[in-house]
Amino acid sequence: MKYLIIGGSAAGISAIEGIRTFDKTGEIILVSDETYQLYSRCLLSYYLAGVISEEKLKFKEENFFEKNKVKKFLGIKAEKVYPEEKYVLLSDGTKLNYDKLLIGTGGSAKLEEIPGKEKDGVFVLRKIDDAKKILSKLEQTKRVVVLGGGLVGLRAAYALKARNCDVSVIVKSQQILSQMLDFSSAKIIQEHLEEKGIKFYLGLSAKEIVGNGNVKGVILENGQKIDCGIVIIGKGVSPNLDLIRGTNIKTHWGIVVDENLRTNIEDIYAAGDVAETVDLSSDQPDINALWPCAVEQGRIAGINMAGGSEKYDGSLGMNSLEFYGLPVISAGITRPKGADFEELIKQDTKNKIYKKVVLRNNRIVGMILVRKIEKAGIFTTLIKKKVNVESIRAKLLDETFDFAKIIPLIKEKKEIFKEKEYQDYIFTSK
Amino acid sequence: MEKIYCKIEKCLGCRSCEIACAVQHSNSKDIFKAIRETPTPLSRRKVQAVQDIIISDSCHHCDPAPCVYACMSGAMYKDENGATKHNKDKCVGCWMCIMVCPFSAISRQEKIAIKCDLCEGRDGYACVDACPTKALFTKEVSET
Repeated sequence: MKYLIIGGSAAGISAIEGIRTFDKTGEIILVSDETYQLYSRCLLSYYLAGVISEEKLKFKEENFFEKNKVKKFLGIKAEKVYPEEKYVLLSDGTKLNYDKLLIGTGGSAKLEEIPGKEKDGVFVLRKIDDAKKILSKLEQTKRVVVLGGGLVGLRAAYALKARNCDVSVIVKSQQILSQMLDFSSAKIIQEHLEEKGIKFYLGLSAKEIVGNGNVKGVILENGQKIDCGIVIIGKGVSPNLDLIRGTNIKTHWGIVVDENLRTNIEDIYAAGDVAETVDLSSDQPDINALWPCAVEQGRIAGINMAGGSEKYDGSLGMNSLEFYGLPVISAGITRPKGADFEELIKQDTKNKIYKKVVLRNNRIVGMILVRKIEKAGIFTTLIKKKVNVESIRAKLLDETFDFAKIIPLIKEKKEIFKEKEYQDYIFTSK
Repeated sequence: MEKIYCKIEKCLGCRSCEIACAVQHSNSKDIFKAIRETPTPLSRRKVQAVQDIIISDSCHHCDPAPCVYACMSGAMYKDENGATKHNKDKCVGCWMCIMVCPFSAISRQEKIAIKCDLCEGRDGYACVDACPTKALFTKEVSET
């Protein structure tokens, strides 16, 4: 059996592990357009901040490829997939054939269509090279403008503030983290960041990046000019689909996969930021471009490619952040629109505590936890399990809410909580 | 591997296990000195209650383990016996593990995550040894 894996980040690496749990001898070939391997993209902002060294960006042991007997094609791009002939054409002209193919090409940082974006000093933060370029530019300037108030934008802003930069964040919407938080919780985080000196411009777009050759500043749509030498664009990611354009592999937002992580073409699988799965909170197809989702999808795709049969229930949009000692976790639908949603909220703004659970038909479909985050996993589990929580809804936001409170639900709904770890509670009681 | 379980009808909720766990994870391993350590040693085990149920609960060393898959720094890993372990040198405190742990068995201590390490380096388990009613017990679980 010959396995070909395109993309060497979370999904691809996890797929290799998945394959090897079933098939110890089959040939595995990895193609990645990056030469630096086994690093975690999510750690780049920590590296940028100087919190961790380059060495600590690695999320797998150095001998991972040798141990798993993987042949590598690094620094080479997979140009096109030929599903009929079952091969992939690489940028250097190599043709690699396969029995089973995994597309784990991930996403690319979206570059905003803004005049001046080609100037020296404009960056994204997606690859290790991006982080290194930003670091070397810091030797010339400490004035930074971040375009985008999402996760990547804020992480970059936080990192550069840690490098003693003067940081301004331009946010198009009326709140930061609009994909992740509601207005009230976003305001708590924003004020927390403002206390530490990060500046925000909400409800505004950048019109132009100015400077001749080098970035000198950003002009906002209201005419205001912010001087800076570095612009970081954090406008999200879009799936890397170039290599399957013109093929009959089905795409919608991303590559459409079934519960086996298989595309509409037999022997071709997809996982990670390029794959479109069912979102467990909305029950709608979506790309949840997140590390935990990519790892789980990669693992299951690998197992299924190697002849196993493991089902993927779907993905859940969820995120975790901590800025200056204030953690926040959210999942699912956090800004519900429609009469069929209910919101339970507890807040203590003075102490920057905020808890919210979003319900639909007594099912938890979303949550936000600011500062008091330790029960987060119970909520994400309840979202994924789609279980009716009517019997415990009054307790959900209590200070004393903990795992024990859902044991009666587990006993009642054994067929939903079927994993052996839950069954433990049944075997340890009458 | 050997796992720790709690026989629910035997647990009185005395929290001896929590204290033993916190002391075990202190520098001094002595309760009187541990109290004054900074950071304050924390228990990896939590006594919890609902209706007529009292239970002492901690990491289940799940297989597969959601925290291991969610960990973006490679700090959370499975050892050769299937135990879920945490390498604190690699942890950056992103709390992805807390976000996905179904049992809320992972806590924060300053900037890193902490969880049950099955009393690494100790003969037997502090919580099990401390349990006066023998509600906590160990059982060998077969590899799947």
